[in-house]
Amino acid sequence: MRFVLNTGRTIRQGSYVERKNSPVYREEAASLHMDRVDMLDLEIEEGSHVRVKSDQGAVVMVARPADGLVRGEVFVCLGPYANFLVNPETHGTGMPDFKTTVVTIEPTTDPVPTVRELMEQCGGVGYEG
Amino acid sequence: MKVEDVVCPFCGCLCDDLVVEVENNRVTSVENGCTLANEKLMEDHRLKNPIRRERGSWKDVSYDAAIQETAEILLDADRPLLYGWSGTHGEAQSVGVHLAELLGAVIDNTSTVCHGPSILAIQEVGHPGCTLGQVKNRADVIVYWGANPIDAHPRHMSRYTTYADGFFVKDAFKERKVIVIDVRKTESSAVANEFVKVDQGGDYAVLSALRAIVRGKGDLIPVKVAGVTREQLFRVADICKNAKFGAIFFGLGLTMSPGKNKNIRNAIELTEELNRHTKFTISPMRGHWNVYGSNEVFTWISGYPYAVDFARGIAFYNPGETTSVDILRRGECDACLVVASDPGAHFPRACAEHLARIPTVQIDPHVNATTHLATLQIPVAVTGIDAEGTAYRMDGVPIRTRKLYEGTYPSDLEILGKIYARVKEAKGS
Repeated sequence: MRFVLNTGRTIRQGSYVERKNSPVYREEAASLHMDRVDMLDLEIEEGSHVRVKSDQGAVVMVARPADGLVRGEVFVCLGPYANFLVNPETHGTGMPDFKTTVVTIEPTTDPVPTVRELMEQCGGVGYEG
Repeated sequence: MKVEDVVCPFCGCLCDDLVVEVENNRVTSVENGCTLANEKLMEDHRLKNPIRRERGSWKDVSYDAAIQETAEILLDADRPLLYGWSGTHGEAQSVGVHLAELLGAVIDNTSTVCHGPSILAIQEVGHPGCTLGQVKNRADVIVYWGANPIDAHPRHMSRYTTYADGFFVKDAFKERKVIVIDVRKTESSAVANEFVKVDQGGDYAVLSALRAIVRGKGDLIPVKVAGVTREQLFRVADICKNAKFGAIFFGLGLTMSPGKNKNIRNAIELTEELNRHTKFTISPMRGHWNVYGSNEVFTWISGYPYAVDFARGIAFYNPGETTSVDILRRGECDACLVVASDPGAHFPRACAEHLARIPTVQIDPHVNATTHLATLQIPVAVTGIDAEGTAYRMDGVPIRTRKLYEGTYPSDLEILGKIYARVKEAKGS
């Protein structure tokens, strides 16, 4: 199914922002908030893993129901999971379209990558520390 | 030891009323702080020493070796990018701009992915803003547009707006009207007197509709505009026109959504229309601590607030071309110095991939996403905890921060000063 991905600050993301390699940060940054009816349509429950794809790539996240969103819109806090999907085109403004990435979402049993694994997929070398 | 009137080192509110307890070079308790302040001040997971990537693994290196290598990387590069700067103090930012000039580099700060579009709009039509003290003491109507202060600036409402009693607003919670305009319901919209739910990408149209109503052209408004009913648009316009003093605060919901800088221009022009009826101001909700300061410092020295390119030997500014995301997505820079920010986490993936391909040096106290992409990381003190310096609040008020204790880490200013000296020596200038 096709959705529009919105991103923004959450208080939990801000709280753990200096601990990006911690499980608590990953739990927040990889949470995909979506409408409950959309979750029924996808036949997923709270905590289900989903593969989220855009024209830039795909990343596995965890679905969470949210009351503040309308059908067809999903929300992920700003961070490396959401940005794995955001197109770097800025249309001459310097600013990518962080609020309106078109994505498809499907259930999966694949694990959610760590921030370190995401950066390794970008060509980095993971640091344990 | 108890320290009073401590300035928070997290968001652009720079709350300066915190009381902290310090024991054995650690903050052990925080009073008056929000969750973000508590986590930031009481954190204890710094990188212990400089690290260097060598053939697929990480090795510890000395500060002196790391500083020398950073200078060499920057000197070897044809098109270095110096990015970040918002988490550090103005004195360090100043050295950064002089270093960029010496190198012929591009220097950019985090407003490039934050309120950069707001700056573009302000450069077109000006900024009818005011300090947060004016809002607290005078404003009886507050509009949050594309902003969620309860999550992003948790004390904004209690210190300056919804819950803050002021000189002319004695009982704020009863006397102030709060309007939240957003594409989704949030904690902030839940405490608003009026929540306006806009369809994603519809902000420009709603701003235009409100401008038309305030201008007396309400008969042009259709039944619905971007999901907002005509009745609600008229009600919101009436609340604003009847304010004694209104204040609009806008967030990244306007700067990152379709329209970007044009959304902000429209919002500023709505403010101008409202000033034909009453007093109204508009201000950006600056997020990353001293990001406002980075705009100030860059502008004093170069004339431009961000995305400054010194490659021509003079300062050149062209957002969309000299902005970090554009330079990285084009694969244009051949070295990057990241200071006090985390582009690995907060830039699109394609940009992170380029940072991994080139020599990237990060000066930052913590292990973050950029650490894994970097060649070298130099840990430093956190300004406002174990380093002192000047930062600007979101309304442009400079505030001096102090050290809470004498730590063991060097400050950004010390590290950057040494890099600058070595580059200057090598350049023979």
